[in-house]
Amino acid sequence: MKIKVILGVVAIVAFSSLVFYNFGNSISTYVDFEGAQGMKGAHVVGTWDDTQESYFNRETMQFSFWMTDETGNKRKILYPRPKPNNFEQATQIVVIGEYRGNSEVFVANDMLMKCPSKYNDPSALQMQEASS
Amino acid sequence: MNEFLSWSELGFLGKILINLGFVSALLGTVVAALASLSYPPLSKKVWELSTKSFWGLQLASIVGASAVLLILIANHQFQYYYVWNYTSLDLPMEYLLSAFYGGQEGSFLLWILMSSVLGLGLMAWTRAPYRWPVMSVMGFTQVFLISMLLGWSFGDAMMLGASPFRTLLEEMPSAPFLQANPGFVPADGRGLNDLLKSPWMMIHPPALFVGFSMMTAPFAFAIASLWTRTYHEWVRPALPWTLSANVFLLTAIFLGGYWAYETLSFGGYWAWDPVENASLVPWLIGTAGIHTMIIQKKSSRAHSASLFFAIFAYVLIIYETFLTRSGVLANASVHSFVDLGLYNQLLAFMVAITVLGFGFYFWRYRDLPKPKKESSLLSKEVLTFTGSILLLVLGLVIILGTSSPIIGRLFYDNPTPPDIQFYNDWSGPLALVMGLLTVIGQMVFWQRQSWVSLGTGLLLPTIATSVITAISAIMGQVNDLYSITFFWVGWFTVIGNGWVMVSLMMRNPALIGGTVTHIGFGVLLIGILASSKYNTFLVPPVTESFNARVAAGEAFDEDGFPITTQIESFELQRNQPKVVNQQYMVTYEGYELKDTPRPGTQIYTITFQPLDGRDTFTLRPEVYPMSSTAGTDRVDWSVDPDILTGWMSDIYLFVGGSALVERRNEQIAAQATMNEAAMSRAVNGQESGASGASANSNGQETTPEDSISVVSLLPNDPVQAGPYQFTFTGYEPAQQDEVPENTQVAIRANIQVTHMPTGRSYEVVPLFAVFIDEGENFTYSPSLRIEEWGLDVQFSSIVPNDESIELTVAGLNEFIEEDWIYLTVEKKPFVSAVWLGTFLLMGGFSISIFRHWARDRQAKQSSGNRVKSSDPAVA
Repeated sequence: MKIKVILGVVAIVAFSSLVFYNFGNSISTYVDFEGAQGMKGAHVVGTWDDTQESYFNRETMQFSFWMTDETGNKRKILYPRPKPNNFEQATQIVVIGEYRGNSEVFVANDMLMKCPSKYNDPSALQMQEASS
Repeated sequence: MNEFLSWSELGFLGKILINLGFVSALLGTVVAALASLSYPPLSKKVWELSTKSFWGLQLASIVGASAVLLILIANHQFQYYYVWNYTSLDLPMEYLLSAFYGGQEGSFLLWILMSSVLGLGLMAWTRAPYRWPVMSVMGFTQVFLISMLLGWSFGDAMMLGASPFRTLLEEMPSAPFLQANPGFVPADGRGLNDLLKSPWMMIHPPALFVGFSMMTAPFAFAIASLWTRTYHEWVRPALPWTLSANVFLLTAIFLGGYWAYETLSFGGYWAWDPVENASLVPWLIGTAGIHTMIIQKKSSRAHSASLFFAIFAYVLIIYETFLTRSGVLANASVHSFVDLGLYNQLLAFMVAITVLGFGFYFWRYRDLPKPKKESSLLSKEVLTFTGSILLLVLGLVIILGTSSPIIGRLFYDNPTPPDIQFYNDWSGPLALVMGLLTVIGQMVFWQRQSWVSLGTGLLLPTIATSVITAISAIMGQVNDLYSITFFWVGWFTVIGNGWVMVSLMMRNPALIGGTVTHIGFGVLLIGILASSKYNTFLVPPVTESFNARVAAGEAFDEDGFPITTQIESFELQRNQPKVVNQQYMVTYEGYELKDTPRPGTQIYTITFQPLDGRDTFTLRPEVYPMSSTAGTDRVDWSVDPDILTGWMSDIYLFVGGSALVERRNEQIAAQATMNEAAMSRAVNGQESGASGASANSNGQETTPEDSISVVSLLPNDPVQAGPYQFTFTGYEPAQQDEVPENTQVAIRANIQVTHMPTGRSYEVVPLFAVFIDEGENFTYSPSLRIEEWGLDVQFSSIVPNDESIELTVAGLNEFIEEDWIYLTVEKKPFVSAVWLGTFLLMGGFSISIFRHWARDRQAKQSSGNRVKSSDPAVA
């Protein structure tokens, strides 16, 4: 009985450590462009810099644009898909990816867009009042 | 309605009813507890009667409050925040119903309503000694749930609940326009999120909340068992409830998954989103509980495990409710609710349920029956129990991932959600072990087995599995070891359980519930791997060879860097077919516009001609502007994929962009510029800028869009522009109420617009007005739109010297531009197996419900009426 309990405890501890170790590796922290240097799958939060050129390359199906991160660094982003439909409206963009080679160009394998919330925003009501 | 109550009185009635429901739940909890304790000085009868009355009162109040909310929604009473925020005039009746639970408050109300009704059932069917303790626990959970809707405020900072009946003024007391005009009622609401306008989203929330409230029953029975120290009997009534809760949760998960597959563009049915996990994890733990309850019923073992799982399943429902509704996950999930300021209240609810459940459990732990001797490894008890533990482990791993915003802080300050890989890496192998275990478990469950007899029994299923796996691996070109193992286990689960099912069918068909469920699990395993891992993007040959170079590391971009991502979509010109993956010839035939149910929907027609001679088929993906987030000067586009469902594979596609969408975006930008110019342009060369907006004497010159042009017209002298002909036929006076205050001049021009290629024409009468504001002259000339052509016409100026006028026109180039789309097409094998597996799970659980329910009834009859033991059903 005693042996079984010890074995059980060891198994549970070993298994949980493995899960936790793997969990720790599979999450990361949001960084800025400086912090993303040398990282794979870095999550960078920022906004679209619409003063710079953004274009879609129809041949490689890549969309490229400039993004400003939360500390003000600007980088060119390559996104290997057509421009998302609601791109211009996003109030915040999260790009997930890494720098291309040693360059300053960030390749976003994934991109999340936070769209303006329709919630708790009295200005929408005001606008409606103005038009009604 | 209005004859009896004004609309504001009706909302007040709603608030009263919520409060009444809260008070009766609170009192009901107390009197049910007193009934359980047979507490003096009053007799038990009095307490029982009061429990019944308070539950009835609670149910009546909640039904009443729900009716009030529904009436307010159906009658578009936009002075109420909830109605304004989630509905609009153009919503059809069925989506007005969806809007009822489209927001956080309404979905709480639905949950409360379901629990209230369920409580009535529990009260009717539960027997001593559990009846009153169960009602007390049910009441306890209702008190917390209803408190979320109270809307009591204590000063500025403290709030208890958020009422669905609060008015705009109560929601935004400091908004200046409401202070100026407290009685303001908006003309229209903001409408329901377009993604929720789906029949699947109408039935998903009710199924989910029935599941949630039913999961309260095993929790209540577990507490009642600990309370009354009767540890054996409670599983008998609790098991059918747990099974039912599981069927409803599974139905809800299925509906949610199918909706995601059909509506969202991530191309799958499951994304390990925290909100999805919120319903999956309680289901897993509930399933673990079902396993231990069955052992407890059959072998009088695993008492502590059954209690643990019954408590844990409900604790998890509240925990996941906390995660998704408190705003903790705001950054991690695409569809978690907004924070309503219920964080503390939800936390209190979670702590209360956990303390009540596990506190009681550990307090009584030493008292719980323990097995006298250990079971052998190859017993149904050990194997079934191992299954429960695996389900628990899987549940815990998913909870860990979902809790990343909280637990991730152990590793990082500002943690991101885990990689999807984290979930896949753990759930896959765990599911494999579970699959193997279901077969061995079922073999042992129905018949005592030795290692030798088990080995003999498994021989044929193993051979059959290996043959079928080999055939399917060759046909499907499966060649990696993990996939082959996975498919082998999937088939083994199906065949092994099928084997047991056939022998059970011959004994008693009522017993097959478990095997059907396990077969469903096997089918699900096959479907999940096939549809996710063997998902292929269909692309034309150029892209195919490009992707091959990407895979080989030989593709480079314009700056010479290697490209690592394969291209998933391609461009298709109208009527210029492309062949994809040497399987289909794909043609973009054109688009049409539709305004119902979503205004401005673009429906693209795409035909697929299979090269192997099968029938041609047509898919119609849509792109539509999201009305709920749209403003006057911008539009959010949303895509609606289309799917051809087949037994072998699905063809899934969506339009990721099109010439039409780009043109619409340009038009909207141009229109916004024009509208800005229309209000703020000074006439006669006067200094502008008084109104703060950019302006000059010729609005169109400030716009960067070249699709805008100015057309000068002399009376009755047709002028051509683009494919259109414009004729100015004369003036018309403008109505006084159409123009701004202090208007000096206001006139309309009669303009005939003809689309020359088609010969169709429209008459537009745009307005031109000059008004004075703070001593300066301004013009007011709103543009008019010809919807069919997407043409905006603005009467921008009267030229004083000759008799001509000037029109500013946007959208002239509409018909001469090219027409193309970006298309993403995926071929997903055996999605059908995912649905089939899910249905088999539901079917198996349902068979078991009837079996265990019937047994519970029988037990009641035989214990209550032993004389009638000749009843053949009892034997």
